[in-house]
Amino acid sequence: MTELVRLTDITKVYQGGVTGALNGVSLSVEEGEFTAVMGPSGSGKSTLLNLIAGLDRPTTGSVVVGGSDLGKMGEAALARFRRDRIGFVFQFFHLLPNLTVLENVLIPAQLKSTASAEHRGRRLLEQLGIADVTNRYPAKLSGGQQQRVAIARALINQPSLLLADEPTGALDTRSGDQVMELLMDLHRTGQTILLVTHDAKLATRCAARVISVLDGKIVDDARLETAERAAADVIRVRGEEARP
Amino acid sequence: MTAILIKALADLRRRRVQAAVIFLTVFFSMGAGTMAVTLMSQTRDPYQAAFDKQRGAHLQIGYSPKTDQQLLAKTPATIGAAASGGPYVVNSIQFRFGDRKFDVQAIGRDDPGGPVEVLNVTSGRWAHANDEIVLTRSFAELNKISIGDRLKIVSVAQTPILTVVGEVVDIDEGSADLSSQHAWVTAAEAPALSSYDSTYYLMDYRFASDPTSAQLQASTDRLRASLPPGSIIASLNYILVRSIFNITNQILTAVLGAFSVFALAATIAIVATLMTGIVISAYREIGIMKAVGFTPSQVVGVFALQIVIPALVACVVGIAAGTLASQPLLANSSHALGLAYEATFSVVLYLVLLAGGLLVVTIAATLPALRAGLLKPIAAIAKASAPRGTGGRQLRRVAARLRLPRAVVLGVGEAFARPLRAALTLVTVLLGVATVVVAIGLPRSFLLINNSETGAGNYQVVINRSGAIADADVMRILNAQPETSRVVAVGGKNVTIAGVADPVGTQLFRGDSSRLGYMVIAGRWYTAPGEVLAPAGLLHDAHIKIGDSFTGTADGYPLTFRVVGETYDINNLGHSMFMDIATMASVTPAPEPFQYEVALVPGADVSAYVRRVSALQPDLLDVHAADTSIIAPVKIIDTVLLVIAAVLALIGVGGVFNTLLLNTRERIRDTATLKALGMSPRQVMVMVAASAGLLALVGGLIAMPVGLSLHHLLNDVISSSAGNDTPPSVYGVFSPLELVLIPLLGVVVAVAAALIPGRWAARTNVVEVLHSE
Repeated sequence: MTELVRLTDITKVYQGGVTGALNGVSLSVEEGEFTAVMGPSGSGKSTLLNLIAGLDRPTTGSVVVGGSDLGKMGEAALARFRRDRIGFVFQFFHLLPNLTVLENVLIPAQLKSTASAEHRGRRLLEQLGIADVTNRYPAKLSGGQQQRVAIARALINQPSLLLADEPTGALDTRSGDQVMELLMDLHRTGQTILLVTHDAKLATRCAARVISVLDGKIVDDARLETAERAAADVIRVRGEEARP
Repeated sequence: MTAILIKALADLRRRRVQAAVIFLTVFFSMGAGTMAVTLMSQTRDPYQAAFDKQRGAHLQIGYSPKTDQQLLAKTPATIGAAASGGPYVVNSIQFRFGDRKFDVQAIGRDDPGGPVEVLNVTSGRWAHANDEIVLTRSFAELNKISIGDRLKIVSVAQTPILTVVGEVVDIDEGSADLSSQHAWVTAAEAPALSSYDSTYYLMDYRFASDPTSAQLQASTDRLRASLPPGSIIASLNYILVRSIFNITNQILTAVLGAFSVFALAATIAIVATLMTGIVISAYREIGIMKAVGFTPSQVVGVFALQIVIPALVACVVGIAAGTLASQPLLANSSHALGLAYEATFSVVLYLVLLAGGLLVVTIAATLPALRAGLLKPIAAIAKASAPRGTGGRQLRRVAARLRLPRAVVLGVGEAFARPLRAALTLVTVLLGVATVVVAIGLPRSFLLINNSETGAGNYQVVINRSGAIADADVMRILNAQPETSRVVAVGGKNVTIAGVADPVGTQLFRGDSSRLGYMVIAGRWYTAPGEVLAPAGLLHDAHIKIGDSFTGTADGYPLTFRVVGETYDINNLGHSMFMDIATMASVTPAPEPFQYEVALVPGADVSAYVRRVSALQPDLLDVHAADTSIIAPVKIIDTVLLVIAAVLALIGVGGVFNTLLLNTRERIRDTATLKALGMSPRQVMVMVAASAGLLALVGGLIAMPVGLSLHHLLNDVISSSAGNDTPPSVYGVFSPLELVLIPLLGVVVAVAAALIPGRWAARTNVVEVLHSE
């Protein structure tokens, strides 16, 4: 498989920070992988995601995504990179309240000046089961629906990498399960996904690879053959008791 | 109270940019308002003080030299005057000083004092010998003539030399740049300065109390009835002199007053916008304040104080600046009247202004702050910020249908996301652009009027004839010059008209006067003797209209006139008539031209022409290039207008800037999301600029008709105060291209103002913003 993401010896120290959010992290993600980055709050997993998305810059080290060294890009180039290569799903959806569902979905395509995006946008909404809310505003949707819209928005430009930062964190269990099913369906179609979560069960249930981060370091990188094994392995790494 | 103050001051330190915006807008509006109020309250006083001090004449009458002096001696009793002066012999004289020549009315008078019309000798002394002359200080200063200078009188054949021995301030004259001037010689010298048709008697009358216009007219009518026809050839009353003296300050006061109201309205809009923005962005803080024990009114107090504190400082500084800025104008007034200038301060007035300004700002700040007081603590804490504005959706859809770039579409919708804020911003833009329209338009209107009064472009050389050279000789000289293309000769003779108190001055033309460039407001230019044009002031006061015939008398000779047109003339506040000199053919002696307005053939050298003609009769002809420069008061008004327009334009830009800042801050999460989705910094800036551009465009488009209407209105007010209707051409001083360009210029300025919030938004740290959510 082709390498899509390579992080080399990454450190990230925030202004005023005594210890780094990331300390010498190196990581590689292959195309088509469903990778979960797992760790407790403050472990540095979201920082890792932000660096891969080009939303933030490392203090040292390099981030290469799809052959592009993000450290060599200016702000405008990084914006183009995100627009063209990355799809981002946030914990709190971050839909634009003044835009309808369809308008929200189409935004990245329109920023890219893609003329024929509307058809694709409507198809995505259908695929995600929210075609009936196309013309509604976000305030009128449930949390699950909003996150589906956010996923559709993330997919509109057919990104090579889908980043999901705690996508179920603001949802109830049922909605969270539905969203994860969606992500797994996408993975089955070949979409590379990098999921950040603090939920071990969620990570092991969906991802074929689980990277555990603790105190800014990768403490485990497990490539799992089955979900059942994965759960046990990963939970062992985290030092928690395995429960069926 | 301490807690409120501490919290308000802490918030103020955090919101320095907003405090600066408040300070500047309040400062400018209070400064302009203070200037207007100071001028308004002081305009009349200097004149009245000087008039009382110098026992000014309520009424001055010019009598024909044929009038019996014994009859003149009885005139004070005829009208019940408490005091009188004269009769003084007055001659129109022309004198030469250096290489220039001047015309003044020389009055034969042996004493500057007396019971009426005391002349305030400001330097030198009064004339005692026959070769001495006293000038007005205004005239001497304007023309740089000093005591000891020798003036050669060229209007009489003997060309006597008179030495300037004193300068006076005459309460009954306007300044030398606005009106003709008097000079004084001994009574014994006066007859020696007499020339053809230039001599008359002057009587000054003062009443026990200030008479009204109607009482003055009744007095003039009684005098006319008691004397042979044609005895009264001129008159002047103190109300007219006072109006002329005050006209500059009156116009300035009107302009400043109007625009200080504008500035205050803009300030209210900005304060209200700011306060709503502050409250919206501080929901969580409001909740916490309430949770720790702030009462609703204390919360309102904290927010209102954040506006009131910088506003208080701005009021104090603005009042001081306005007072200082108005002093030079007041000093000019005092100087012109010969009064010692004393800086004018009115503590009561300033306290009223301070209280008024603060009250307006406090109300504008408190009303939106009430929302903060009414919020329920738990709801405020939970929501963190107010629900986002949902306006602008339709607008955004229209923009999307037009297939504009997405960043523009988003910006367009953003502009009207909060309709109230957008409306308040539009008010500031509207006021700024409307003021700019007026500031561009009025000087142009003034220039058109000035050009019509000075014949700009219609003749190049003006020649004044001394009484010592005949009209025919002047014409012979002018016609002999190869560059002479056209000569219009101008004379004058006052006409008495029934129902009009003062004799009316006339412009008597010989030659093609229709090409001199005077404005015809209605009707047409005269084509035959007997046909006249007059400004609105005379038509109104004489109750005549175009098409009417009426009678009048000149030197006692009856004349019939027919009004064929309305013209524009600021002389004597619209009391004048324009006609062919042949209209007065029946008057004896027949009036003769004293001025010649010469149009030269294209390409002629004006300076060479002036030098050559002047050299032919150096003493008897005053030859100079036509002066089309704008008079000083108009320049002052133009400058004030320019400053005010700049100030209001700045306030308008401040309004847009303020709104963009609030919008950008409120929408920071959306901007961060958009950036996360791939919006480039340039697109972020385009989005913010589109928002600014649309607000400025809409404001500008509304402002254009408002500005044009205001320009129309101010022209009418100014023309009316000068006794005229506004010529239609004076309204239409904007080209269609300018009408488009002015709002577009507003858009450009607003987009430039958007750069700061735009750059700020473009530099948003996505991670920090989204993380903080």
